[in-house]
Amino acid sequence: MKRKLLLLSLLSAGVFSANAQDSTQTDPPLTITGSVDTYYKYDFADHSNLPTSFASDHNSMSIGMVDIALKKKVSKASFVGEISFGPRGQSQSLPNAAGVYDETTNSYNIQNLYVSYDVTDKLALTAGYMATFVGYEVISPVGNFNYSTSYLFTNGPFQNAGFKASYAFSGKVSLMAGIFNDYWNVYKSASKLNTFGAQLSLAPVEGWSAYVNLLTGPSSGTEIDLTTSYQITSAFKLGLNAATFSAGNDYEDGGFTGVALYPQYAVSSAVTLGLRGEYFKTKTGDYATFGPAPGESVTAITATANIKAGPLSLIPEVRFDNMSNDAVFTKKSGAPSKNAGQFVLAAVYAF
Amino acid sequence: MKRLIIVLLLALAGSAVYAQAQQTDSLGFDENNKYIYYQVAAQPGLNADTIYKRALNFLKTAYTKDKLKLKKQDDGKATLMGEGGFLVSKKALVSKHEDAKITYDITVEVKDGKYRYWLTNFVVIPYERDRYANFVPVNGKKTPLEHGLRVLGQKDLDDYLEKVLVNSREIGKRLKNFILSPAPATTKESKISPVIKKDW
Repeated sequence: MKRKLLLLSLLSAGVFSANAQDSTQTDPPLTITGSVDTYYKYDFADHSNLPTSFASDHNSMSIGMVDIALKKKVSKASFVGEISFGPRGQSQSLPNAAGVYDETTNSYNIQNLYVSYDVTDKLALTAGYMATFVGYEVISPVGNFNYSTSYLFTNGPFQNAGFKASYAFSGKVSLMAGIFNDYWNVYKSASKLNTFGAQLSLAPVEGWSAYVNLLTGPSSGTEIDLTTSYQITSAFKLGLNAATFSAGNDYEDGGFTGVALYPQYAVSSAVTLGLRGEYFKTKTGDYATFGPAPGESVTAITATANIKAGPLSLIPEVRFDNMSNDAVFTKKSGAPSKNAGQFVLAAVYAF
Repeated sequence: MKRLIIVLLLALAGSAVYAQAQQTDSLGFDENNKYIYYQVAAQPGLNADTIYKRALNFLKTAYTKDKLKLKKQDDGKATLMGEGGFLVSKKALVSKHEDAKITYDITVEVKDGKYRYWLTNFVVIPYERDRYANFVPVNGKKTPLEHGLRVLGQKDLDDYLEKVLVNSREIGKRLKNFILSPAPATTKESKISPVIKKDW
């Protein structure tokens, strides 16, 4: 009886203290956010065909990652530490300590690890291992509309470790410039900190943002990228990503060029429908991409729905890829094919 | 068992009384079908000029500029207008992050011994996670609270309405505190005479 009374008292106290909490508090001591994602994929050839990132397992209920980000800001100084576990958050997006993508020896689990200091309201300095500033799509499934990823994303940088300074000229124009490790996606440089990166951010009109990105270094090569999106109405958004990449000194020649268009339409507060149309072409040379062989191209169409139920998103998706040659895809029989297709149903929970 | 039921009833009654005590005001709709938080407050003993100056001080200094700032000052009509915004967060047991910013317009009018104020034009700007694990406003997505049911859904709308009410009350309380206390005089900081002087 005493226990029950005590429990009731605690519950009542809980109700009152919850009411008394200030919902307007905006500077929590430590912010913890993240996501988990899981998916089922069926490739129409009855085996995995597409070489783009994530959602790799055919006819399997598989996991993406559990992703946990910690953030704290005290006055002008802040840090972000983001760790991830699972195929998507380990060997599919992160190298191990030795700089190799190997699930069996994956060890670091770090997606973001950086510190930042706001020198003034307009100037911020950041150093550490950061998600790349290049490209439209990101590693976190919460940041993407489509669950499968584009060839531009898969073949572009994932992370850049370095030091950067960002200056906001106004609410509409800002510039970032920084120096990064000699290779992309590495926790430490091979020998030098000599990749230069810059991002010009523009917001010409309300709802329209554009980022012109440059990442260039003797070892990492040079990528020039345009990422832009325009919320044309409250329901319709159009995104565009275009990039060209030329390989660095480790290769004689090669690279890629591509463009992807992302129209999305919200049919209700819970359901948004979207397409991704991508054209991706590789340059001739000895640089190999995840996709077409050098000098070849691929066109991919992805139709995705995003159905929200609070923090949970269900993402059904159908995708068809058409390659210029039959060197990459295979039919059900194993015979070479120019075409591949797949269905994915993913669930992403954000917290 | 009887005692248990009595305690349970007392706890429920307590909650109801507490909730009623909180419900002294609420959001309503104005003639333009917009949500409005409207209050008239008596301040006997203070003339219109004093209340006006203190309300002006409130709009200029009560919050940082990104949270509230003076937009228009009409001395002839004794009317002040400001614009502001507050962040609302999604909170679970151990996690919390910015969910949206709700912007608003505030108007304060004064007369001898009383003042009135209202907050309206509430607009929800959702936040989303960026690639660096920060939560940032979604560019171009602005939903007037009146369209919230269609665009945001019932659950989010209810949540935002509650937070608008809580924040409006908070702003009203802070305005009252400013009206009650004299505006700080802008005195020049007195120069401290040096300890070590030339002629010693």
